[in-house]
Amino acid sequence: MIENIKKKAEGYSGYMFIAPQFILMLFFIIIPVIKGFQMSFYEKYGRSQVFVGIENYKFLLNDPIFRKSIYNTIFFIVAIVFLTIVFALFVSTTVFDKTSKYLSFIRTSYYLPVMVSMLVMSVIWKMLLNPSSGVVTWLLGLMGFEGVNLLGNPSTVMPVVVFVTFVGNVGQAILIYIATMIGIPQDYFEAAELDGATRFQRIRHIIIPLVRTTTIYLVITNVIAVLKIFVVIQQLTGGGPNNASVTMMYYLYQNAFVYNRGGVAAAIGVMMFIIALGFSIPQMRTYLKED
Amino acid sequence: MIKRIKNMEPYDLVSNIVVLIAAILFLLPLFWLLTNAFKYSTEIYRTPPTIIPERFTLSNMQELFNDQPTFRWIFNSFIVSSGTAALSVLFSSLAAYGFAKLPIKGRNVLFVIVISSIMVPKETFIVPLFEIIIDLDWINTYSSMIVPNLATGFGTFMLFSFFAAIPDSIRESAKMDGAGEWLIFRKLMLPLVKPGLGALFILNFVTAWNDYLWQLLMARSKDMQTLNVGVAGLQQSINPNLGLRVAGAAIAALPMIVIFLMFQKYFVAGATEGAVKE
Repeated sequence: MIENIKKKAEGYSGYMFIAPQFILMLFFIIIPVIKGFQMSFYEKYGRSQVFVGIENYKFLLNDPIFRKSIYNTIFFIVAIVFLTIVFALFVSTTVFDKTSKYLSFIRTSYYLPVMVSMLVMSVIWKMLLNPSSGVVTWLLGLMGFEGVNLLGNPSTVMPVVVFVTFVGNVGQAILIYIATMIGIPQDYFEAAELDGATRFQRIRHIIIPLVRTTTIYLVITNVIAVLKIFVVIQQLTGGGPNNASVTMMYYLYQNAFVYNRGGVAAAIGVMMFIIALGFSIPQMRTYLKED
Repeated sequence: MIKRIKNMEPYDLVSNIVVLIAAILFLLPLFWLLTNAFKYSTEIYRTPPTIIPERFTLSNMQELFNDQPTFRWIFNSFIVSSGTAALSVLFSSLAAYGFAKLPIKGRNVLFVIVISSIMVPKETFIVPLFEIIIDLDWINTYSSMIVPNLATGFGTFMLFSFFAAIPDSIRESAKMDGAGEWLIFRKLMLPLVKPGLGALFILNFVTAWNDYLWQLLMARSKDMQTLNVGVAGLQQSINPNLGLRVAGAAIAALPMIVIFLMFQKYFVAGATEGAVKE
C-alpha cells in the first residue's frame, strides 16, 4: 500500500519540479495579460471603473499621436533591425577566424555599450548632442554646420534615435554571430578555397547562408526589442519635438502614468502584446521541431 | 604578424581596418564618460574638448556620494540584482530538470508556454502588472522589483539543454540505490550543471541591474531607487551641475564594464543559448 502511494507520488514528481516556475508565470504573466485585456475595455473615472466597450480602441485609432507612434515604431523597427543585421554580419564575418585576442577586443568594444545599458548610453548621447555644449555639436560646427540641434529638429531626431539605439544594441548580434561562425566546421572553407573562391565569395555563398537560423532568431528578437523602445525616447527626446519621435511604448507609459488614462494604456499594451506574440510564433515553431 | 597581414586578401584587409576603426569609435562615448567624470564642469564644457583631464578632480564623485544617496542606490541595485539572480537560478533549475528528466504529460504544450514567456516582453502588460503590485501592497519594496522578473522562462529554457545532456543512466543507477528525486536533483544533478548555473546567475544579475523602466515605476521614494533610476533622476531634475551628472552616469556604467571584463565567456555562452541550435 505504502509502496503504491510512493510509486504514484513519483509519477507526479515532474509536476512538483515545474510547479514553482508555473505559479510565478501564472501570477506575473498569465493573469496580468488577461487583466490587461479586461482593463482595455474599462476606463477609470475618479474612483469608479466604467465599462466602455471598445471605446479605448476607437479613441486610439482616431488619435493622431497614436498613429504617429505606430508609424515611428515601424520606422525604428525596420531601420534599426536592418542596420543591426547588416553591420553585425559585416563585423562577424570579418573577424570570426582571427586570433582569439583580437576577437576578444572586438567583442568587448562592440558589447560594452550593450552592457552599460541603454539608459547610460542615452544619458551620454544626450550630453554629447547638447545644442550648446555637446562635443558632437562642436564637431558639426567645425564641418560648417553651425548651431545645429539634432534632437530639436523633427527631421533629424528620428535618424539620431536610430543611430543611438543601433550603437547600444548591435553588440548582442555580433556576439551571437561570432559564436555561431566559430562553430562552422573547417571543411566548408577548405573545399571552397580549393575551388579558388575569394574570401568575399566564401562569406557570401557559404557563411551567410549557413548562419540563416541565427539571422532569423536575431531578426525576431530584435524586432521585439525595438517594439518596446522606451528609454532612448524618454531620456533623449521625451517623444518630441512636438511628438515627432513618440513611440508606442512611450505613449503607453505617458497614458498610464502621466495622462492617467489606464484603459487606453492597457489597450496599447494589448496591441503590442499581440504583435510580439505574432512575431515569436516562427521562433516557437523551430524550438518545438527540436523535440 | 606582419607576414599574416601581407598574406591577407584585399577585402579581408580593408574590412578588418574598417571594423577596427569602428570598434574604437564605439568605445569613444564610454571613454568620454569615464574621463569627464574627473573634470571640473567648466572643463567639460570647453571646446575643443580635452582628451584627458587637464585638472584632475574628485569633486564630482565626492558630491555624488556625499550629497546623494548613491551608496544606498548601489546597495539597492545589488540586493535586487543578486536576489533576482539567485531565486531565478533556483526556480529555473527545478523546472529545467523537471522538463528534461522527469515524465510530464503535456510536456510540449507546457514548454511552449515557457518559451512564449521569453518572447513576449513584460513591458506590454506593465499596466495590469502595476495594478497587481498595488493589490499586493508591494509598491516601493524589493519584492516588487524582484518577484515579477522571476516569471520569465529564460532560465528554464537555458538550463534545459544542460540537464538534457546528462546521461539517463546516472539517474537510473541512483534510483536503483533507492535515492528519491529530490536527493538526486540536489546531490547529483545540480553539481553537474554548475557552469550553466553560473552563467545564468550572471546573465540574470545584469538583466536585473539594467531593468530601468520597471524599477522606476516601483520605487516611490529616493532611498528605494536603484542606481540606474537614481542616476536618471540626476539627469532630469533641473540640475546645472554637469560634472555631477557625468559622474553619476560613470558610476552606473562601471560595475557592468567590470562584470563584462571578468566574465566575458559567460556572455558568449549565454548569448548563443537558443540561437545557434539548428
